[in-house]
Amino acid sequence: MKTLTQDKADFLLVVARRIVPEVAELDDHGVGRMCVIIDRALADRPASVQKQFATFLGVVKWAPALRFLAPFHRLAPATQDAVLGWFEDCPVALLRKGTWGLKSLIFMGYYGRTEVWDEIGYRPSFDSRERLHA
Amino acid sequence: MRELEYDVVIVGSGAGGGAVAKELAPLAAAGQRIVVLEWGPKLTEEEYTGHEVEMAGKLYFDSGGVLTKDRAMTMAYGRAYGGSTVVYTGTSLTMPQRVVDKWAVPGLEWDDLQRRSRKYLEQNNVHLQDENLLNQNNLLFRDGCAKLGYSCQQFPINVKGCRASSLCNLGCPNAAKQGTHRVQLPAAEAAGVEVVTNCKVTTVHDRVCAAVVANPGYGEPSAWEPGEYRVRAKVVVVCGAAINSPALLLRSGFGADLPALGRYLTTHPALILVAEHDHPITNFVGHPKSFFCDEFLESHGFLLETCMYFPFVTAKNLIGFGEDHSRMMHAFDRLQMILVLAVDPAAASNRVEVDSDGEPVVDYTMGDSVLDSLHESMKASARIFFAAGARRVHAPAGVRFFIESDEAGRIDELITRDNVKPGKISVNSAHLMGGCRMGIDPTDSVTDVWGRVHGVPWLYVGDSSLFPKASEINPYITVMALADRTAEHIRDNAGELLAP
Repeated sequence: MKTLTQDKADFLLVVARRIVPEVAELDDHGVGRMCVIIDRALADRPASVQKQFATFLGVVKWAPALRFLAPFHRLAPATQDAVLGWFEDCPVALLRKGTWGLKSLIFMGYYGRTEVWDEIGYRPSFDSRERLHA
Repeated sequence: MRELEYDVVIVGSGAGGGAVAKELAPLAAAGQRIVVLEWGPKLTEEEYTGHEVEMAGKLYFDSGGVLTKDRAMTMAYGRAYGGSTVVYTGTSLTMPQRVVDKWAVPGLEWDDLQRRSRKYLEQNNVHLQDENLLNQNNLLFRDGCAKLGYSCQQFPINVKGCRASSLCNLGCPNAAKQGTHRVQLPAAEAAGVEVVTNCKVTTVHDRVCAAVVANPGYGEPSAWEPGEYRVRAKVVVVCGAAINSPALLLRSGFGADLPALGRYLTTHPALILVAEHDHPITNFVGHPKSFFCDEFLESHGFLLETCMYFPFVTAKNLIGFGEDHSRMMHAFDRLQMILVLAVDPAAASNRVEVDSDGEPVVDYTMGDSVLDSLHESMKASARIFFAAGARRVHAPAGVRFFIESDEAGRIDELITRDNVKPGKISVNSAHLMGGCRMGIDPTDSVTDVWGRVHGVPWLYVGDSSLFPKASEINPYITVMALADRTAEHIRDNAGELLAP
């Protein structure tokens, strides 16, 4: 991988399981596909965006220690959800934007896999004329 | 460094560059050397897979997620043989007179734009699709608007042999969409215009374009060998669109004499809104964009359009996460979608800059009037969704993830202005306009009314960056009409401009 170190990827997966619950059910291949998609997306972004993402990931990991005396990955799932919910709606615009970016990358990794299409009911076809009236 | 010489260099091959190339083709047929330098690739037909992440990576800058400087909005614009016309939906509206009047550019008449627009409507096979080709996602929008008494009109679109794949925004896999990659560029090439893909123009100085060719590993290889080039030309026409045209000119030093360069960028900030029905509807089959509603354009500054996006784009446009979010995503074949376009004012502070590496940076702030419009648009859309029979609606500024149908009477209370927070709600733009705006005064415009850069007789612009204000409609036909004017001016003055 180009931008995601193992450490970052491991933490990203902790967050991803709260963002998309089905991530917890992915096998190793699925997790690998997801990480590759995220890694490629990050690698294509400007260096400044990559740096901001890495910094924000660190903020999400350690900011909860101020309130809960433990980093994000050691919190109970309900507390992790509360932390992410706070970040998403936070008064500080920069943190809201960071949360949106983090969520977007996770959504890209999970829903960007063609394997998920059938599971969610998305079945595109190059020729769908007959299906218009099915 | 290789040195080449042409009579005319056109930078970019989208709606603007494609139109200029075709309109200058008679000069090529008469022996003038004309080349189009396009940053993006020309994909082979087999490479249009309809896979969201893959196609976005190949056909858009930053996969369609270029961030503004403040990170509050993403921008989607194409990079390909055909530019953004490869990835738009092909909705083909002509500029209303009221907008041309608002633009108030001396010498730019509505009649003239209409005449030129009609030419492109004809070239691009623009028509209304038959009712039996419209899917339920679109028809439900029309029904909802009708029940509420909102005006709703059908979009004319530019397809030929549409097979209802609904994959327009990922590049039509059936070659049905009549973008410049299907119409104007092949015609121009047949007349002798050269098109060089995978070629990024880095600067334009004194009739010389510096360019770099690099093949990305997909698409057809460039007609030129990879490497650096200096391309001398008698005339340069910049058609890189609203981000890359001003960025190219700023990098090249034209900002010193043109204080408006890069400024007055407008974007039609957009929301994708989603509702869920009880039963599957036809949504990802059929053309995704059939109707629009301009009921609120004058009163609240927004347009509503039908739309249908792909799984990742849909997911990132929903607020929240976890089980509610996942439940909605897993109802994909029951989702109805509406696209909101807010009409943003042309502010000098909203601008394209270049960073120390010469890369474009978009400094754009959504003002209160835009945020107000987005708030009102969510409420109007929720009413349309419920009138169309949706069981639940997701509003990004809702007080909770879902608004259920039995709460439809409480929309004003459940979708609050306080929740319209930049950075929280997902705002996107695919209508980027301005940055090289037309006008007569070099202090507040960049080109004259024919697209010629003030004070630089050999340098023209022919793209969406010419817009002095927002178009208030889907802009590509107007881009072509303005590019047509640019090309006509070059043609009419060819004797002087292209003299040996």
